[in-house]
Amino acid sequence: MYSFRDESMIAIETKTVALFGNPNSGKSSLFNQLTGLRQKVGNFPGVTVDRKVARLQLFDEQEVKLIDFPGTYSIYPNSQDERIVATHLCNPSSEDYPDAVIYVADITHLEKHLLLFTQLRDLGLPILLMLSMNDLAEQEGLVVDVQKLSKVLEVPVLQFDGRAKSQHTELKTTIQNLLNQEPAPTSPLYKPSSEEKTIIQAVRTATEIKSDYHALLLAHHHDWLPNLETSTKNSIQEITEKNDFKSLKHQIQETLNRFDHFSPIVNKVISKKGEDNTITDRLDQILTHRFWGVLIFFALMLLVFQAIFAWASYPMDGIEATFGWLGEQVETMLPDNWFRSLLVDGILAGLAGVLVFIPQIAILFFLIALLEEVGYMARAVFLFDRVMQRFGMNGRSLVALISGGACAIPAIMSTRTISDWKERLITILVTPFISCSARIPVYIVLVAFVVPAGKWLFISWQAWAFMGLYLLGITTALVSAWVLKKVLKAESHSFLMLELPKYRSPRILDVLLTVWDKVKSFILEAGKIILLISIVLWFLASYGPGEEMQLAEQEAIELATQQNLDEQATDNLIAAKKIESSYAGILGKTIEPVIRPLGFDWKIGIALITSFAAREVFVGTMATIYSIGSEEDEYKIQERMAKERHILTGQPVYTLATSLSLLIFYVLAMQCVSTLAVVKKETNSWRWPTIQFVAMTAMAYLGSLLVYQFLG
Amino acid sequence: MKTANHRALFDFKPKEKGTIVAFTDDRIACKMMMMGVRPGATLEFVRRAPFRGGCYIKAGNAAFALRRKEAECILLETKV
Repeated sequence: MYSFRDESMIAIETKTVALFGNPNSGKSSLFNQLTGLRQKVGNFPGVTVDRKVARLQLFDEQEVKLIDFPGTYSIYPNSQDERIVATHLCNPSSEDYPDAVIYVADITHLEKHLLLFTQLRDLGLPILLMLSMNDLAEQEGLVVDVQKLSKVLEVPVLQFDGRAKSQHTELKTTIQNLLNQEPAPTSPLYKPSSEEKTIIQAVRTATEIKSDYHALLLAHHHDWLPNLETSTKNSIQEITEKNDFKSLKHQIQETLNRFDHFSPIVNKVISKKGEDNTITDRLDQILTHRFWGVLIFFALMLLVFQAIFAWASYPMDGIEATFGWLGEQVETMLPDNWFRSLLVDGILAGLAGVLVFIPQIAILFFLIALLEEVGYMARAVFLFDRVMQRFGMNGRSLVALISGGACAIPAIMSTRTISDWKERLITILVTPFISCSARIPVYIVLVAFVVPAGKWLFISWQAWAFMGLYLLGITTALVSAWVLKKVLKAESHSFLMLELPKYRSPRILDVLLTVWDKVKSFILEAGKIILLISIVLWFLASYGPGEEMQLAEQEAIELATQQNLDEQATDNLIAAKKIESSYAGILGKTIEPVIRPLGFDWKIGIALITSFAAREVFVGTMATIYSIGSEEDEYKIQERMAKERHILTGQPVYTLATSLSLLIFYVLAMQCVSTLAVVKKETNSWRWPTIQFVAMTAMAYLGSLLVYQFLG
Repeated sequence: MKTANHRALFDFKPKEKGTIVAFTDDRIACKMMMMGVRPGATLEFVRRAPFRGGCYIKAGNAAFALRRKEAECILLETKV
């Protein structure tokens, strides 16, 4: 009985197994195969770098924590992603410090992929070496003597492609052995120079660190490592200064030394009988061609946009219809009281507002993940890096800007792959200028007031106007980026130096898991904010100070009886009068003096405020204010808006000047609380979302002011 | 060190090959080496990027995209 309890105590202590490897090593694919939907995606503490974790059951009932670390070429980092690796490996007391390592190496680029492996091994970690990309190796006739490799590197080596169940068994057994056996002592693969030995000795004396290589890493990284105590930091600083230790010089020496050591090993264990696969070379002749490559890129993006706007409209209509139906059901089931109103107009409307974006986000990220997975994205970065650089961004910013066409939230999250802080920040700040899908319903309603029906070059005037609005957004994004590039002062060591992986057929599991991950994070990040704001807005629009609302209702009923209105029209009139006297109405009237020079009245003011939940709420708000029972028909709202007259002058409210001014405002203004929340999270400060909000609102105000004053 | 047949990678013509002799910038050198591109390796200049951008290079069976300033700091030796 007693011994049984002892055993269970041991099982409770969860061990950590970490996946390391170079970018494009097939590491994440292995992680996906081992864990599937059980993986949890979060952040490493204090930084916005994805941390994927899953529990994995071994055969001896032992459950281990499996962590997928970001891909990196070496333990000497260049980006925030890569720093995570060094941070954790230099901190044995971290709970993410591995008890064992699965190192994934691309068999077709074995030499290059072994650099980080030898560094991890010198830290004394128990390692399993996994050789991936065996299908590519087979095509090229590449054969590796696995036993020989295992013998010279003194670690277990497995070839893995995940196709056979037996491979999973072999993998788990090997991890189990690594965790349970005392590691056999191995001699370090890197022999430090005499200068480095002095440093290592001094650091070890000062810090009680046991491993030589760990001590050397502290000498390299002490100035930025977050978990190091100040006293330790200072004593290491003293040592490096005293010995005039030049980190960069020693990194180069070490790297060269390691390659010299293991290159001959690689040459001995690998033999090649076939020819290099030239499919990638042939495809790249066209896909990275300076003319055709660019043309194909734009054709692909057109396809992506077509997918977002045309294909996504079916599930989006479905979601809206479902929630409309749900609302009706609730209305027939519950008595007319505040709770029903909260449920239907607050919560259900808010949920619909969140879920309606999911089809677009899912389709967009499916296509982007697919392009990434086959290896195309790296080519797009190659083609456009120079153009983006002129605007202070990076080739990778292109992906974010394109994603911004669906929704700025996932787009901003996708900037994590940009290693240079300044380039990343600029991308985050300008992405919301790209017209997202929430602006479309607003454009549809307003464009009709600005341009007449009719065609030019077989395309309707209104479609041209639409294109103009998109172009205005893109141009503003680029101009702002250019200004930010000049204004922002940040030390920039930006690199491109991007590996162009071989083209390969996509692994659908990896693609689907990416889509799932993005949709989930959208719901968790933006969804709760949109929902919360919807409820707050519902309150503002349903309640007013004192008896005002009741008085407004009575007044509306009297007016309706006088004018002999039918029941539907009476209800609509009541709703319109009520919102006028609600807190939202009061807010609208309060800001009226400020927005008057832009040609907006207090009703538009209400819509501007409610748009903070999501811009497309504009349409629903207009429907309520102009007392149109249903908000489904954008043309009905248009019709009603066209009839709207100024109380004093009797002139139409939605003149060309006001409508265009309002359109410009929606193109430029930062009216999305969820985006601001994501910017706050990604930049880790209130400073940038505040600057972004103030600057975008000011630009929108000025733009609208110019348009209205010029045309009005 | 710089002789007639030591040229920067960026000045190469498409399909031209050379052996790396030196890097003129330590930071870039360090990063290149960590990606497996080191002195003595043979590089092939494959093509230039559009919009007066960087270039597409191959080292063995691996391909890389480099910016102009990155390609300018790699000195190669070509066979005469």
